[in-house]
Amino acid sequence: MSEAPLLQARDLRKTYRLGRVDVPVLRGADFSMKQGEWVAILGSSGSGKSTLLHLLGLLDEPDAGSGGLWFEGNAVAGLRGGARNHYRNRSVGFVFQFYHLLPELNVLENALLPCKVAAGITGWPAARAEARERVSALLQGFGLSNRMQHRPRELSGGERQRVAIARALSNQPRVLLADEPTGNLDARTGGEILDMIAQLHRKGLSIAMVTHDPAVAARADRIVHLVDGKVAG
Amino acid sequence: MYAFQLANRYLTSRIIPLIAVAAVALCVALVVIVVSVMSGFLDMLKSSGRTLMGDVVINYPVRGLPWYDELIAEIQALPQAEAATPLIDTYGLIRMPYPQGGDKEVVTANVWGVEPRSFERVTDFTKTLYWQPPKDEAAAQAMRKEDPRLQLSPQIATDGAALRQSGTNEPGMVMGIHVSIVNERQRDGSYRNRFGWFMPDQRVTLTLVPISGKGTVAEPRERLFPIVNEFRSGVYQIDKNRVLVPLSEAQQMLRMDAGLQYDMDAPPNADGSQPVLGKSPARVHRVLVRAKPGVTPDQLRDAVEVAYDRFQLKMLQDSGKIAKPPRRDMVSILTWEQHLRDLIGPVEKEREMMRILFSIVYLVCAGLVLSIFWAIVQEKSRDIGILRSIGASRPGVLWIFLQYGLVIGAVGGVVGVGLGWVVISNINAIHEVIGEDAPSWSWIGAFAVAAVALVMAVRGALAGSLLRSLLWMVFAVTLCVAGAGLIAHRGTLIWDPAVYYFSSIPDKVDWLTAAITWVGAVVFSVLGASVPAAKAADIDPVRALRYE
Repeated sequence: MSEAPLLQARDLRKTYRLGRVDVPVLRGADFSMKQGEWVAILGSSGSGKSTLLHLLGLLDEPDAGSGGLWFEGNAVAGLRGGARNHYRNRSVGFVFQFYHLLPELNVLENALLPCKVAAGITGWPAARAEARERVSALLQGFGLSNRMQHRPRELSGGERQRVAIARALSNQPRVLLADEPTGNLDARTGGEILDMIAQLHRKGLSIAMVTHDPAVAARADRIVHLVDGKVAG
Repeated sequence: MYAFQLANRYLTSRIIPLIAVAAVALCVALVVIVVSVMSGFLDMLKSSGRTLMGDVVINYPVRGLPWYDELIAEIQALPQAEAATPLIDTYGLIRMPYPQGGDKEVVTANVWGVEPRSFERVTDFTKTLYWQPPKDEAAAQAMRKEDPRLQLSPQIATDGAALRQSGTNEPGMVMGIHVSIVNERQRDGSYRNRFGWFMPDQRVTLTLVPISGKGTVAEPRERLFPIVNEFRSGVYQIDKNRVLVPLSEAQQMLRMDAGLQYDMDAPPNADGSQPVLGKSPARVHRVLVRAKPGVTPDQLRDAVEVAYDRFQLKMLQDSGKIAKPPRRDMVSILTWEQHLRDLIGPVEKEREMMRILFSIVYLVCAGLVLSIFWAIVQEKSRDIGILRSIGASRPGVLWIFLQYGLVIGAVGGVVGVGLGWVVISNINAIHEVIGEDAPSWSWIGAFAVAAVALVMAVRGALAGSLLRSLLWMVFAVTLCVAGAGLIAHRGTLIWDPAVYYFSSIPDKVDWLTAAITWVGAVVFSVLGASVPAAKAADIDPVRALRYE
């Protein structure tokens, strides 16, 4: 008997309202990935690939009446409030095309943010030392040891994305959800980021990566094509 | 924790929150200053009212109360009463010793005839006596150096307290410090003699007009009094108008002393005189009563009313006394607050109105915080999306901005209270500066700095920076306007002691009001922040994170 998939979605639908027009983005997408797998979700612009990723990370909600979403065999689509936040905080880690670092915080503070959210105001003093040590090690591993105290605007694009990945991994999530992680980088820097992701994957990290670039998608274990809001083939 | 960190960073990394802090601070300072001055004014009014007339006043003007000694005995038997004193309250003319030669100046005065010892027990009036003998030789020398005429005899304080000149044993008069024109008030609140006159060396003529039993004006009476001291109550109107003389002298001059009462309707005796009806008692216009510690004026007034009824009954039953006291409803028995109602009431109302008006200031605070935060939330919506994507809860996001408002309100409030404290503490000095023409260096300085700013503006323009040039220009224009204002400024007396009763502006911060205002600033800043905070919490992370 095979293990339950790490992340499974069935018949996901999502419609956006633009003015008076309903724009269906996902029209019943199915998705499944195993523990330790690196899956690329490949699709053209507007195919709904980012929306799928947002739904997988519980950042967005599917339409009422659409199918379900399971994480390690547990239904998570119906989670509300604190449980949703907890899932976003612990179970998954998001990486975005535009890094999305907070400009007021330095590199270490940015990367520590999910740990602070996890610990809460009362738990943070106790969790602080361990979290700082772990996240510092992570940043060092990403070659950012001399950038800890810098603000994001002082970093290059590649460095920013590495900080963003460190932030996504700071709470040791089960799966990394990457939305065009190399989309804003030149080919060489993008390649470095992909090398880094590949290295994380080799160490056992499960990765779902959205891209429009077949060359980028080719680095993954498996490619899922998204066409017109449905998984093709 | 992250909420605190972010609120802190949002606060310190930009200028707009500082503007909000400054605005809150100014609002708070405004309220603290105005309400403190008005509260201080009210307190001064109330405390001076109390020290000037005790806690309860029995008032029967013009004709006067007979048998007041019996009434006072009745009152002093009350457990609520500490002391009571009879008082003559009338108006008279005083002929001053100045100017040298020629026609002397004549002023009108509110003349109080008092019995010094009991008056002191009710009002502590000796504390208001201004001329006190120097404490030691050093103080005496300093005094002589300042004004060679101030050879104050050691008796001056005791003479003032007894209303009697010890050398001649004549009954003396104690004047309000502003009754004569010779005392010039200094900046530090002390007085200097003007025109070489020192009133406690002088004698004045007092003229009083007695009112006959039928209520007609009788022959005016004159009497020479040595001035034995001067008093300063702090209430300008009183210091300007009131003089104290011994009760018996005032009664004699007003024909309110004890005497025989003749029957004017009966046929005359053989020797042509009218038959005697009986003994006519001395009368006074008022009896002042002081409460025992812990007894409120209202409690005392109720007790005094009962005592008055007892007194009246006794007098009515006493057939030996032909003059009967008036019924209680003809006499006004009031607490000092009721007595000064005309004075205190409007000020209290004014203060309440100020409080209401200034609650609008809070709305300004809230609106300001709201609009500034609204802009910040708009600008930070992407950050909020990021926070949500890493698992921050909506209350967490809400908390960032509420905390932000809390800090702005709290810090602004503290700065405002501090500012208010600085202004209030120096309000009399500030008032004096406003009261004078602006010194020339002030506007010359303003124009000089404006010229420099203009040069900077031109340099900015040459360097191609429109914003810099414009900012310098605004600065220069502001300074020019300020300079022009300073040139045009002519001394304005805002706090006229003749209007406000007190010769100095109250300079104590009303800390209760300050605390309430601070809390109000915090509450309204948080309220103002709550709307944008709720908007922030409602931000859809997907929308916020969508491509730029």
